[in-house]
Amino acid sequence: MIEARDLCKTYRVEGQAFTVVEGINLVVRKGETVSIVGHSGSGKTTLLSLLGGVTKPDFGQVMLEGIDLWSLGDDRLSELRNRKLGFIYQFSSLIPTLTALDNICLPTAFGTAVDNPADRAIALLEKIGLADKAGFYPCQLSGGQQRRVAIARAFINSPEVILADEPTGDLDEETEREIIDLFREINAESGTTFLIVTHNKEIASLADRRFAMKNGALKEVPF
Amino acid sequence: MKKINLFKLAVNNLRRKLVRTILLLLVAAVVSGTLLGATIFIFGMQNALKIGTYRLGADILVVPAKNEEQARTALLAGKPTSFYMDRGVLDKIRQVEGVKLVSPQLFIEPSSFTCCYSVDVFLVAIDPATDFTVMPWLEKNVRNSLTGNQVVAGRSMPVMEGATIPFFGTSFKVVGTMAPTGMKFFDQSIFMTMDAAYRMAENSATQSPQPLHLDKSKISAVLVKTDGTLSPERVALRIMHALDDVKAIASDEVVNTVRRQLSGLLTGIVAVSAVLWAMCLFMIGFAFYMIVNERQRELGMLRAMGAKRRHVFRLIMLEAVLITLVGGLLGLALGFGLLFALSDTICNTLQLPYLMPSPLVVQELLAASLVFSVLTGLVSALLPAFLASRLEPYEAIRTGE
Ligand SMILES: Nc1ncnc2c1ncn2[C@@H]1O[C@H](COP(=O)(O)OP(=O)(O)OP(=O)(O)O)[C@@H](O)[C@H]1O
Ligand SMILES: [Mg+2]
Repeated sequence: MIEARDLCKTYRVEGQAFTVVEGINLVVRKGETVSIVGHSGSGKTTLLSLLGGVTKPDFGQVMLEGIDLWSLGDDRLSELRNRKLGFIYQFSSLIPTLTALDNICLPTAFGTAVDNPADRAIALLEKIGLADKAGFYPCQLSGGQQRRVAIARAFINSPEVILADEPTGDLDEETEREIIDLFREINAESGTTFLIVTHNKEIASLADRRFAMKNGALKEVPF
Repeated sequence: MKKINLFKLAVNNLRRKLVRTILLLLVAAVVSGTLLGATIFIFGMQNALKIGTYRLGADILVVPAKNEEQARTALLAGKPTSFYMDRGVLDKIRQVEGVKLVSPQLFIEPSSFTCCYSVDVFLVAIDPATDFTVMPWLEKNVRNSLTGNQVVAGRSMPVMEGATIPFFGTSFKVVGTMAPTGMKFFDQSIFMTMDAAYRMAENSATQSPQPLHLDKSKISAVLVKTDGTLSPERVALRIMHALDDVKAIASDEVVNTVRRQLSGLLTGIVAVSAVLWAMCLFMIGFAFYMIVNERQRELGMLRAMGAKRRHVFRLIMLEAVLITLVGGLLGLALGFGLLFALSDTICNTLQLPYLMPSPLVVQELLAASLVFSVLTGLVSALLPAFLASRLEPYEAIRTGE
């Protein structure tokens, strides 16, 4: 489904090179759930961005369903991001000028994957327990609620791969539970592939495979 | 519920930063407003010049030398005035080489009756026998000439044909109205015969609270038509050579004077507008550069969720267009309103016959100004929008954090 081949990413700061991702090879099969742990600054977010085609690797390839992302033109790549990939960010990522509902629908403005975005968005709002907050603006929602809306947004176009960066970072245990259940439900229903960066032991243990990121390299951690 | 799209996103973005949006709107308003003002001015001036070529219907105007300035003001701006010289000049002018027709006019003291009308009235006596400038402006069935207490009214006079109006205690019958000439001198005048004017003056002693004194040996101006063998300037020079204390103004010269006066002003207006426009262009461009900078994270996320480069480009351009469109309309409304309200003042200060072009031209100017204003927005947002569309999504998201 999604595959990294010899992926490398180096940042240059004031002439000094920091290699954050160093020759990572990874194959994730369709419907698989993979968790990634690692110290702060170990390059997890960078890896997810590389896999999601929002930053270009210095070396190596990202293959999505056999297609090399960076061999595509920008339009095709954008279409792929729109239809096949869903991002859940580590930080709050809602557009402040849009209501929860519009935020969830936003990705549909750039593609035609969904016929009736609003209906689907409302269904998603129900799933995350925020059906009564559809018309609320991000600033009128709690941090955890905002995060849940961002999660719902990632699902709006029924992507095939979800790239989640600490998706339950600021959620209480119960909500966290609900989100995990949502992930499992969607995974079971539509065979969605999940790559989840997390410090949460429970999520990590639920994954089919677990990886640890260290010094730019990815190592599989046996159960 | 409206579907989410770029338009909604743009409008919401503009609403989020209301103060900045309003400031940008004002900048756009300045662009369109100035543009409209400048073009209407330029049009008005060009019209003034065009009319200048036939405004007199005469090639040369002869007035007392000491009243030259007054005469120009009267003709160009339609300021009622009066001044006198000896009737004897008429014959002398007729004998000057190159002169074909001469006709006297008498400008009657204005201050004594302006009280009765809301507009300035120019009371002018002509000699129907020799007149060649006034009667051709008559709207229809020109009676061979004026007789008795008949008058002809200019376009702007609030009187109807057949009406009776009193001046200095004498009643006059309006027998004709003139076609619009665009010149106050004609449009706001009442023309009567010299004989009637003298009679009116005589009667005023007994019939009017304000007596009028007219000396039968005096006239105010002589209109001259040349026979074409010599240029009007040459003939004017000859007239001044032959007669003392008169100023002969060739109509070309009148036009040239206006042209000289206005062209400086015109250059000024164009220069100021250009500078202003460049500043606005820069300001809107800079503002959008800042907007893009500030919203990098958001734009990066839009890209990450599948927005193509052109979506981002369009979003920024759309915001610029919305601002310049709304601001442009605002500027047009303000600019036009202001010009309209001040047009009389402007005309008087600049000695222009009129300012506003015809409604059709005004419509075209309004549309053109609006288009220009929107184009300004498009041009100034072009670079910021392009830069925004070229951001690498992840880079943008992180930089904006
Ligand atoms: N644009 C950049 N320029 C230079 N260095 C960068 C840049 N972006 C990230 N880095 C560096 O790359 C390293 C990895 O960053 P990344 O955000 O991937 O870490 P992370 O594993 O997601 O950390 P966290 O758990 O704190 O989110 C960090 O040391 C960071 O300083
Ligand atoms: Mg991170």
